[in-house]
Amino acid sequence: MAVYKKTYRPYEGKLTPGWSRFLVIPRYAFTEFHGKRFLSLFFFASFIYPLICALIIYVQHNASALNLLGVQGQGARGLISINVTFFMNLLGWQSVLALFLASFVGPGQVSPDLANNALTLYLARPFSRVEYVLGKMSVLAILMSLMTWIPGLLCFALQGYLEGWQWMKDNARLASGMFFGAWLWILMLALLALALSAWVKWKPAAGGLMFGVFFVGSAFGAVINAVQRTTWGNIFNIGHLVGVVWVQLFEGSNRTTNGAVFFRATAGEELPLWTCWMALAALSLICLYMLARKIRGAEVVR
Amino acid sequence: MTETLISFANVSRFYGEVLGINNVNLTIPPGITSLVGPNGSGKTTLMNLMTGLIRPTQGEIKVLGIAPEHPEQLCKVVGYCAQFDSCPKGLTGYQFIYWFLRMHGLTAAECDRKTNAALERVSMTAAAGRPVGAYSKGMRQRVKLAQAIAHDPQVLVLDEPLNGLDPMARAETIALFREWGQNGRHVIVSSHILHEVDQISDQVILLSQGYVVAEGEIKGVRDEVKEQPMQILVRCNDPGGLAARLFQQDHMVEAKISRDRKGLLLRTTDADSFYLLLNKVILETGLEVESIAPADDDVNSVYQYLIGGEGGTV
Amino acid sequence: MDPVIELDGLEVRFGKRVILKKLKAALTGRSVGLLGPNGAGKSTLINTLLGFHKPSAGTARILGRDIRTHAREVRSLIGYMPENDAYISSMTGVHMVRLMAELAGLPPEHALERAHEAFFYVGLGEVRYRAIGTYSLGMKQAAKLAQAIAHGPKLLFLDEPTNGLDPPARARMIQLIQEIRDRGDLHLLLSSHLLHDVEECCDQVLILKDGNVAAFCNLEEERRANRRFLELETRGENNGDFLAAVEKLGCETAPGAQGRLKLIMPDGVEVRRLYEIAAGQNVQIRRLNHKRDSLEDIFLKAMENPDGRL
Repeated sequence: MAVYKKTYRPYEGKLTPGWSRFLVIPRYAFTEFHGKRFLSLFFFASFIYPLICALIIYVQHNASALNLLGVQGQGARGLISINVTFFMNLLGWQSVLALFLASFVGPGQVSPDLANNALTLYLARPFSRVEYVLGKMSVLAILMSLMTWIPGLLCFALQGYLEGWQWMKDNARLASGMFFGAWLWILMLALLALALSAWVKWKPAAGGLMFGVFFVGSAFGAVINAVQRTTWGNIFNIGHLVGVVWVQLFEGSNRTTNGAVFFRATAGEELPLWTCWMALAALSLICLYMLARKIRGAEVVR
Repeated sequence: MTETLISFANVSRFYGEVLGINNVNLTIPPGITSLVGPNGSGKTTLMNLMTGLIRPTQGEIKVLGIAPEHPEQLCKVVGYCAQFDSCPKGLTGYQFIYWFLRMHGLTAAECDRKTNAALERVSMTAAAGRPVGAYSKGMRQRVKLAQAIAHDPQVLVLDEPLNGLDPMARAETIALFREWGQNGRHVIVSSHILHEVDQISDQVILLSQGYVVAEGEIKGVRDEVKEQPMQILVRCNDPGGLAARLFQQDHMVEAKISRDRKGLLLRTTDADSFYLLLNKVILETGLEVESIAPADDDVNSVYQYLIGGEGGTV
Repeated sequence: MDPVIELDGLEVRFGKRVILKKLKAALTGRSVGLLGPNGAGKSTLINTLLGFHKPSAGTARILGRDIRTHAREVRSLIGYMPENDAYISSMTGVHMVRLMAELAGLPPEHALERAHEAFFYVGLGEVRYRAIGTYSLGMKQAAKLAQAIAHGPKLLFLDEPTNGLDPPARARMIQLIQEIRDRGDLHLLLSSHLLHDVEECCDQVLILKDGNVAAFCNLEEERRANRRFLELETRGENNGDFLAAVEKLGCETAPGAQGRLKLIMPDGVEVRRLYEIAAGQNVQIRRLNHKRDSLEDIFLKAMENPDGRL
């Protein structure tokens, strides 16, 4: 007979690879999201628009479906053209939904860790501040990617499959624009959400600020434009900045559009491209600085 | 006579349905009295009742003859140092104490003098000009203490006053309590550090789950717990032989030999006889004794007997 | 024996202020106590060893690894129980300890196993599925200890582990710490203001003052040293006579705390002689123990040195 006592035993097993440790954070965050019904519903609802887009693409290429709609021949092409506008609008709408998602999910990322000093525990492990921020950003990045460029690229792939290889080569810019444009937006949102979550303790306030930064910023910019009779006020309008960059990504030098739904840069008022990049970079740096101030192992009291 | 006592007569305090303390009868003489008990046993309730911050649901309290229904009189004689920090934001240490004194109606010059004296007492003069929010834990504790003693009260009620203080500050604060107690004032201290309670208190009050389980001088309390025979630990070179000799006596109840075979833990109903017998045994048998100590006449053991292990981590 | 923690001229500055002034020490015991007045630099030392502050000069080695170059490896060997509250209130106990264990590198299955084990070990088996925000103070302290040991570190930093605990919980925490110390495969660094706790749990003590090492002593050796110092408590009719007789033997006497008597026995006089006197006078010797410098004496002596240097 053997009697076993519950006791401490040292750990001698193997460890997970260092580089993948930051993925622990998104894994844990997603298990927590399972329980939140509203979030799950919202997430699934955000696929509606891409599904409609896919349907449109399919219908365009399906003669019997067109017959059903009573449209024939060349007229079909004109129904809804699958071009830059189409994809930019897709990206635009999904990005607005991503903003909503970030406002729900973002505030709850960092503030619980700071509320009761748990950050010390995180950083007392072989885990750095950079990995922490990367892990938290991944939570948002993964969700937002699933909402933005993944469905977008899938639609592109569907169109390419139905139209043929040549179309894909000619319109490759659409795919890259979708991909990089989405990532630009995702990174901006993630940084902003985390910075706000680190500085603002009350979650509804942090969520509200997310919206505030965009809408108040654009209103402020509009006011400056009106008062000073200039276009530089648009620097505060993040939608404008992002829109300009997107136009560049999607279309290069020959523009036909001026952005997508929310990310419109009103014609004649566009800021030069380099200005937009600089402004966005400045915003990112501000967010990174805010994060660096708050995410520390130990407070330094001077 | 009642002017020098704090008395509780059949005092109960309930928070709605939740019990604070139930049917407490106490008379607290001057000197250092310690309140001991697990978290949630009613220590803070008792202190709040003493300082007049809350009123009893039932019963009568008198602090040096003053009832808590007269706060203007009570506040002059009672100083309170709470467990949790509660300082208005933005005030410096000096301001905190100064304005508190002003509320007592003293003149500005008098308040200034007393504030500086109190800060001096707790060695916080240097840091008095900085906001309390910037203080370390130990400094905040000392400012709270200064605020409690500034108006020279007759009764000091202190809720875990040594929390966060380093050993030297502890010793200084304990010296302050001793001085106060010897001057005939009442110092009521609540603490979890039982061996400190042993060292400094004249009286002890044990609370558990809202009831007073024991009160009085520590030695006296132990003697009262008659169901438990005295435990004595003897470290010597022949515990077995000693035990054999002792078992011949009627008053011996139990003897345990320690693991390393160099110690004997024994229980007896008559400690005096045991000690006198021990003198004889040592001389007759040449027993070498390394140390002797009563194992349970301190607050720790009384606590174990009367309150036990409830209120632990789970 | 290889030192567990070795401080090699460690200097830490905040801006212009020097907080730790070129500390040099080699800590080898199973369990080392870290003492010092407020502001001496204890928390700064612990934070520096954990890598939260960068040393401005010198370095330190933990189990042979340099904290400047191998900071990550050092942190994988350490378990830290901070002084302040440290928890995520919405998570259950097991969930948080699992998360922390996985972040330390344990694979998920092992992390889960060890999280449960850790909870049972610290005595929180019953409440491990409850949200930590609902725990009492004692439970939160124990949960902090659980997260510190779950990933199987080789060195534990315990910062004021008995803070705010009521007597039974304190006793349990001390007992746990003593069990951990006695295991031998897990070293401890215990920082506390309660000299009593340090005396019970530690073999060696490092005392800091104003950023310098004020004293470093080995409690085991102190205890085993010179047997000539005694502390007595007597009860009987003629304590005065007893005192006189003892002094006639050649002992130096002095009054001690709580009415006890401190004695220094000269060579040649044994404890037996004291008992002879006691038997003769019908006096009970209620308490007798050998006292070398207790930790309190050592600490106070260390504090008296003007610039805090040994």
